[in-house]
Amino acid sequence: MSSLRLGAKIAAAALLTTTLGAARAADMTFERALNADKEPQNWLLHHKNFQGHRYSQLKDINADTVKNLRLVQMMALGGLASGGRYENGNLEATPIVDDGMMYVPNGWGEVYALDLTSGRKVVTKWKMDPGIDRAWAGDVACCGVNNRGVALWKDKVISISLDGRMFAINRATGEVVWERKIAEPAVGETITAAPLILRDLAITGSAGGEFGIRGWIDATDLNTGKQVWRTYTIPGKGEPGNETWKDGKDRWQHGGASIWVTATYDAQADTFYQGIGNAGPDYDPEYRPGDNKWAASVLAMTPTDGKIKWGFQYTPNDPYDFDEISEHPIIDVNVGGATRKLVTHAARNGFYYSLDAVNGSFVGGRAYVDKLTWSKGLDPKTGKPLEYDPSLDVQPYVVNSHATRANPKGALKCPMTSGGKNWEPAAYNPELNTMYVPSAEGCNMLEGKQQADFVDQGGTAKPRDRFTGGSANYPTNEPIYGGLAALDPVTGETKAKIKLTYPNWSGVLATAGGLVFTGHMDGEITAYDAKTLKEMWSFNVGCGIMAPPITYAINGKQYLAVLSGPHWLRPKPEALKDQAACSMLNVFTL
Amino acid sequence: MGVAFVRGPLRAILTAGVFVSAFSGMAAAQTASSAEDARAIEFGKEIYKTKARCQFCHKWDGSGDQGYGGNALSLRVTQLTPDQVATTVKCGRPATEMPYHDKFAYTDKRCYGMTAADAGDSKPQIGNEFLQAREIDAVVAYLFARVVGKGPATYEDCLDFWGKDTQQCEPMKK
Ligand code: HEC
Repeated sequence: MSSLRLGAKIAAAALLTTTLGAARAADMTFERALNADKEPQNWLLHHKNFQGHRYSQLKDINADTVKNLRLVQMMALGGLASGGRYENGNLEATPIVDDGMMYVPNGWGEVYALDLTSGRKVVTKWKMDPGIDRAWAGDVACCGVNNRGVALWKDKVISISLDGRMFAINRATGEVVWERKIAEPAVGETITAAPLILRDLAITGSAGGEFGIRGWIDATDLNTGKQVWRTYTIPGKGEPGNETWKDGKDRWQHGGASIWVTATYDAQADTFYQGIGNAGPDYDPEYRPGDNKWAASVLAMTPTDGKIKWGFQYTPNDPYDFDEISEHPIIDVNVGGATRKLVTHAARNGFYYSLDAVNGSFVGGRAYVDKLTWSKGLDPKTGKPLEYDPSLDVQPYVVNSHATRANPKGALKCPMTSGGKNWEPAAYNPELNTMYVPSAEGCNMLEGKQQADFVDQGGTAKPRDRFTGGSANYPTNEPIYGGLAALDPVTGETKAKIKLTYPNWSGVLATAGGLVFTGHMDGEITAYDAKTLKEMWSFNVGCGIMAPPITYAINGKQYLAVLSGPHWLRPKPEALKDQAACSMLNVFTL
Repeated sequence: MGVAFVRGPLRAILTAGVFVSAFSGMAAAQTASSAEDARAIEFGKEIYKTKARCQFCHKWDGSGDQGYGGNALSLRVTQLTPDQVATTVKCGRPATEMPYHDKFAYTDKRCYGMTAADAGDSKPQIGNEFLQAREIDAVVAYLFARVVGKGPATYEDCLDFWGKDTQQCEPMKK
């Protein structure tokens, strides 16, 4: 072929690609986001819809056909470099899929735009590496090097990085249009949650509850890359809630209450519901007498100005590191003959809660874990732990279930520090009115150590130091395993529950095919019957899964995708002791 | 386990003080052995940093830490001998969060005369990766060359650990 003809061919091909590209990649609008469920072929939002259901209407993969699922596409996503305290990055992201293109970050925030349309080889359209100072960011990541996902806005991909930056990326080319430094690793702040995009605002927040931060939620104007508002999750002097820090030493300034999972959003009330992390220092509650609002809580907030409408605190004066950052699915259900909007939460503390979306009042809830010993139950009126005594500055809960200064070694208590349910998302099937809650099951104990004061409060604890007032310990012979529960979403009553070999760090996908999917730390990806939780299909990708499965369709064909890329904070089960790191995208179809 | 466990480069370091003066005529041999020592120290540092993830619990400078890896003691002020440190790394410390790194620990009585059954609930957790004797020697060599008894870590120590391509040491700059 002459070079001239080759040139012409290339030009023609380029033209074709551009036209196709333009036709395909419809801009992501707020309208589309509000109606995400009307595009079942796409996975447009982090939690599938704003309500946080992770439920797909696709049903070609169903109880009859699931046995024919097979692995058809794989792709290595990298991000395995070490940094700070960690020997590699891992994969926890929920990919976004729009019209056959997948947008997904690895643990170090390297964003990939992947063309999946061939149904076979994955074609990388572009990759954007944010160029993180890995030691600097990784040293103040509490629990691994991760990034839970990106979001779409107009013709941009919006991503975040562990070192606290946000990026607007040209969706067609991968070029960074602007970046904004939001969180400051110099004071222990990092970002790992996928941004929540509401109209032209990207909402995110700071992780760092083990490093003496004062948590916040922050909105960026995506048109300008500038801050619109920032709301601290711990109220400042004179603000309501600040009086719940009774120490008189301004402990609220380093009280934790971080953010690291994407909020849910109710369009009707124009309100988002953000889970808020543990109080700090984690295990020395005497350091911070009082209820410590809004640590271990949910906040209902207005997106335009970041105003707090209401809050509900799950574990006042949290002495356990019950970090309630995880999602709060919003459901419209019939309660006693009336349709009500509820905000729900499978909490790290082992209880499931449903709350009135309008005012945060407690509707129902109970334990969903096999063993819950730190409290005897929830007060049916208030939803507070039965032992909670508002007149006390430091809550004992069940005696000796946590460390105290007089008795620094707590007894065995359940659930263990990591939960219960941690960040790994639940799923809600509206047809069956069932909430699927993944869990870690088991117990551990806390060992207190009186926390040194912060340097800016006359002490020796420096920014970026672990600020935990002790430690979470794991006795070797204590069984640690996982669970998958199908719950009544109003009362939390367990309809079905199965034990899993390993604690679940993957999260759940529910589909109209009458199935629920989850991944496991030994690399299994499994489909269960939505009613009975009977296993219907399972495949091993050869490498641990701690990312949520998703489903989408390309040219009318339904696919299931999940990332594998494990990381054990500790303790690592004996059976997986030789498990290696990996970083893979795995795609299945019938 | 007796002193026999301390082999190779570590023994070289421990005995260097004596031997260097006694055999000062053997310049060539000495250079070779100090090069080997330097390699062991760097190798040990990498194990401390990444493979065994000691820093996750003890902090990069070995000053001890808290949170998600037990209340880990300071290795800068430890009173243990190199031999005892090696045993601690191999066998972990029963009833604490200090994990073991010898793959066969507690399968026989090599660790504190205890099998897993003897240790029961106090058996330590498994380390992030198992280490061979050569690797344990290197970690111990690193600790005694750079960490144990060295006082609070300095800016230079930080650069040595993290390198110069990161902001990590900025807060320590005087
Ligand atoms: C999972 C956390 C963890 C890891 C990983 C870990 N340690 Fe430890 N280590 C501890 C804890 C906790 C203690 C304190 C035990 C006690 O209370 O006696 C300890 C104690 C020690 C001691 C005893 C110090 C003394 O003065 O008694 C030494 C030595 C030690 N560790 C070295 C290491 C080395 C070297 C590594 C890496 C090969 C390592 N540790 C990895 C948690 C850890």
